Amino acid sequence: MGIKVDQLESQDELYRKVAEEYGAALARLAYAYEADPDLRRDLSQEIHLALWRSFGKFNGRCSLRTWIYRVAHNVAASHVIRQSKGKRNAPAFLTLEEAEAQAGQDNIEISADRGQALARLFSLIQRLDPLDRQVILAYLEDLDAESIAEITGLSAANVWSKIHRIKAMLVRQFHRGGRNAL
Amino acid sequence: MPCDDSPDDLKTLWQEAGKDRPVFSPDQLRKDTERLQARRRRGNSILLVCLSIFVATFALGFFLVHNTLSRIGSILAVLAFGHWLVNILVERARTTPDLGETSALLFYRAELVRTRDAHRQLLWRWLLVPPPNVLFDLGLIQTYAKRFPFIAPIEWFVSAVVLAVFLVWAPVKHLRAARTYQGRIDALDAAIKSNGEVTN
Repeated sequence: MGIKVDQLESQDELYRKVAEEYGAALARLAYAYEADPDLRRDLSQEIHLALWRSFGKFNGRCSLRTWIYRVAHNVAASHVIRQSKGKRNAPAFLTLEEAEAQAGQDNIEISADRGQALARLFSLIQRLDPLDRQVILAYLEDLDAESIAEITGLSAANVWSKIHRIKAMLVRQFHRGGRNAL
Repeated sequence: MPCDDSPDDLKTLWQEAGKDRPVFSPDQLRKDTERLQARRRRGNSILLVCLSIFVATFALGFFLVHNTLSRIGSILAVLAFGHWLVNILVERARTTPDLGETSALLFYRAELVRTRDAHRQLLWRWLLVPPPNVLFDLGLIQTYAKRFPFIAPIEWFVSAVVLAVFLVWAPVKHLRAARTYQGRIDALDAAIKSNGEVTN
C-alpha cells in the first residue's frame, strides 16, 4: 500500500488514542443513525475503519475533533442513504416538528426512568433528516456552535437557529421532576 | 462558546449511553480493509465474467444464426453489454469526496446526487437490454420456427418477459427512486438557500 512503517505506527497510535477518547461518542452516533443492532455493529465498524484509514491523510487543517466527527457523520449519512435504497417503504426523513409529533404527547421525566428517556431520545433522533440529526448529536455531545458549523458546513447563525429549535423541542419532550430538562 | 451554560440533565443522560462501545484494533481494521478490497476485486471479477459470458453468447449467435435480424441483435447486444461493463467499471473506480475534508452538508448532498445518478444510469442500462434481445429472438423464430415448432412460443414468451421487466418494471422503479432523491436534493438546496451560506 506504500505506507512507511513510522507512518503506519503513527496512524495506529492516533487511532488507538481516538478510539479510547471518542469511542463512546462514536457508539452513541452509530446508535442515533441505526436502530437495528446488527446493522449498527456494521456501521460502527465502518466508522472505525474509515477513521483509521483517514488518519493517513489527516493534515491538521482542521482540529482532530472536527475531522473525527466529519468522518463519522459522513460515513453514517452514506449508511442511511444506502439503507433506504431499494426499500419501497423506507421511512421518509422528518423535520424536528414532525419527529416530535410522532414521538408522542407525554412529557417524560428523565430522573424517573432514564432508560425510557434515553429510548425516547434515540427514537426521536433516528427519524430526523441527517442534517438535523448531525446538529442535535453534536449539541448533545456538548460541542459549541462554531465547531458544529465547522463539522456540518452550515453557517454559525444557522446552527444557532437549529440549536434553539432543538432545545425548544427537547424542553417539550423531557423534564426533570417539576423543572425542565434544559 | 458552549451551546448551553446551564447544567443539562439530558446531556448527562446522553453521555450515559455508548458504554457498550465496540472495540476494534488497528490490526483488525487492517485485515478488514484487505478483506473489503478482496471482496471488491472478487465482485469486479464476477461481474466481468458474467458480462463476458453474455457478450460471448451473442457473439457466437452472430456466427451460428444465419439471419439478418439475429445478427443485428447480436451486434447491438455486444455493444450494449460492453457499454454496461465499461460504465460499471468507471463508476466503481470513481472516488468519493474525502470524508474528513468535506463538511457533512456537502458530503450528504454529494451522496444524494451520486445515488440519484446511479438510479438514472441503471434506468438507461435496463432500457438498452430489450431491443437487441427481441431482435435476436425474432431472428431465431424466423430461422427455426418451421423445423422446431416449440421455438416460437418459447421465444415470444422470453421476449414478452424481457420487455415487461426491462422496458417497464425496472425503468419505472429506478425513475421513481431517482425522483425521490431529486426531491431530497431540491429540499436540501432550498434549505441551504433560505438558511444562509455554506462552508466546507
